[in-house]
Amino acid sequence: MRALLVVAGGAVLGYGMWLLADFSELGQVGSVAVWSGVAIVLHDAVLAPAVLALGWLARVLLRTPDGGVRRRLHTAAVVVVVVLGPVTLLAIPVLGRFAADPDKSTLLNRDYSTGWLLLAGAVVVSALLLALTGLVSEASGRGPGRSARVPRPGR
Amino acid sequence: MSLTMRIPDQDSFTSRLRSPAVAARIGLWLGICFGIAFVTGLISHYAQASSQPVPIPTRPVWGYRLSQGLHVVAGTAAVPLLLVKMWVVYPRLFVRPPRRLAPLVLTVLERGSIATLVGAALFELSTGLANAAQWYPWSFSFRGAHHAMAWVAIGSLLVHIGVKLPVIREALAHDVDDTALDAPGATEEGPVTRRGLLRSTWLAAGVAAVAAAGGTFPVVDRIAVLAARRSGGPGGIPINRTARAAGVLTSATDPAWTCSIQFGARTLQLGYDDLRGLEQHTTELPIACVEGWSASGTWTGVRIRDLLALVEAPADAEVAVHSLQQRGGGRLSVLPAHFATDDRTLLALELNGERLSLDHGFPVRLIAPNRPGVLQTKWVARLEVLA
Repeated sequence: MRALLVVAGGAVLGYGMWLLADFSELGQVGSVAVWSGVAIVLHDAVLAPAVLALGWLARVLLRTPDGGVRRRLHTAAVVVVVVLGPVTLLAIPVLGRFAADPDKSTLLNRDYSTGWLLLAGAVVVSALLLALTGLVSEASGRGPGRSARVPRPGR
Repeated sequence: MSLTMRIPDQDSFTSRLRSPAVAARIGLWLGICFGIAFVTGLISHYAQASSQPVPIPTRPVWGYRLSQGLHVVAGTAAVPLLLVKMWVVYPRLFVRPPRRLAPLVLTVLERGSIATLVGAALFELSTGLANAAQWYPWSFSFRGAHHAMAWVAIGSLLVHIGVKLPVIREALAHDVDDTALDAPGATEEGPVTRRGLLRSTWLAAGVAAVAAAGGTFPVVDRIAVLAARRSGGPGGIPINRTARAAGVLTSATDPAWTCSIQFGARTLQLGYDDLRGLEQHTTELPIACVEGWSASGTWTGVRIRDLLALVEAPADAEVAVHSLQQRGGGRLSVLPAHFATDDRTLLALELNGERLSLDHGFPVRLIAPNRPGVLQTKWVARLEVLA
């Protein structure tokens, strides 16, 4: 089964590469490769570290005097990042209105900034509500009160 | 994660959310979304091909609308799934490669297939989203590249599933909180549980699908705040290319405009009033764009079949529909014989009871069932029977 998947996958992949080489000149193939490569680098070297930094920032901002983290707010923050982060990224083409054209009155014909703000508000409220339930975090609070001690990173 | 400055390795990432148990569950849905997008994408690509060895049926009339709607919804929902999946497996990027040659070669091959998969997946999602907003910040042909890279993405996905199959099977067979497959250092409790991360991810995929891709569904349209279009426009149908953009402002409003029907040596010229004088038919058909939006309209006009009968064209002939448009896409489409003779294939003069607007293709446009919008030629100048 595994060998079959790998061989079939390799053949399909090869067909895609052949299509790519076949449909256009070399310059176009190059720009497809550059687009894919830049996308990988943007994720691995920019987006992923930025999310790590956000996680670190959340711990700093939500620290309690006793060294714990405001757990419910931390939970809500994670839900907000998971939902609003990807949705905002995928809306870049409409938020940036890059293809706006006065001649095309039915393209990009919404107020995207207001729409995004409304959506963000709805996501924040939903995240806070979710954090109050046990649906996304431990139902039985850990330790006394609203905060819990989080072990310091090991090294 | 360690805050000291050194090259991280897999153990630098301590969250127990970064587990194969989580990755396999998100990966399953990601694979389903990619599968739907791939199949519906192939359907769309085939529907736009200049010839179809296996004919596309004319029914259901909403077939292309559904297929392309699914394509865009699945692709949009895949964005949060892919990003969270990549967050979960990110520490794998820092696994130290083995030093011995044989395992090293295997590792290089596996990493290579992952790079191809991630590169092709990000390419498909980013170009697809940009295309839905008609933004083309690249030099390659969108349709050709999006099609070719879809095969690359699905091929690498099959290889990836083949490589990971034992892990996937074990992960899916046990509870999501099972730690048997976890990296040794991934033990730190986080602000959300694994189930919590999964639920947040499903929520993200749902929000993405509704907010960005929901514009095509009448009721959802109201809350699709990030969709590139909203339903509406003249006659309730959006416009992709205006008469001005197509360069037909003068020719389409010329009182001397006629539509010619050609079959071999026979040519018939019909003016606007001639077409009005022929038997009119009314039918409800959607315009479904490759960009995922669609809208239904009530069209009134002359059956193509009746026009072909005027020049005694054979019933099994294809018909080329030429536009007044001199350049750009959509200026020519070929109707296969079974589309040309279909009851509901019209040369439309009216949309929703009103004269066709200039931007919708005045004086006349083609409207046929179950076809991509780009093939519903506007500002028709000539029907040519290809005998």
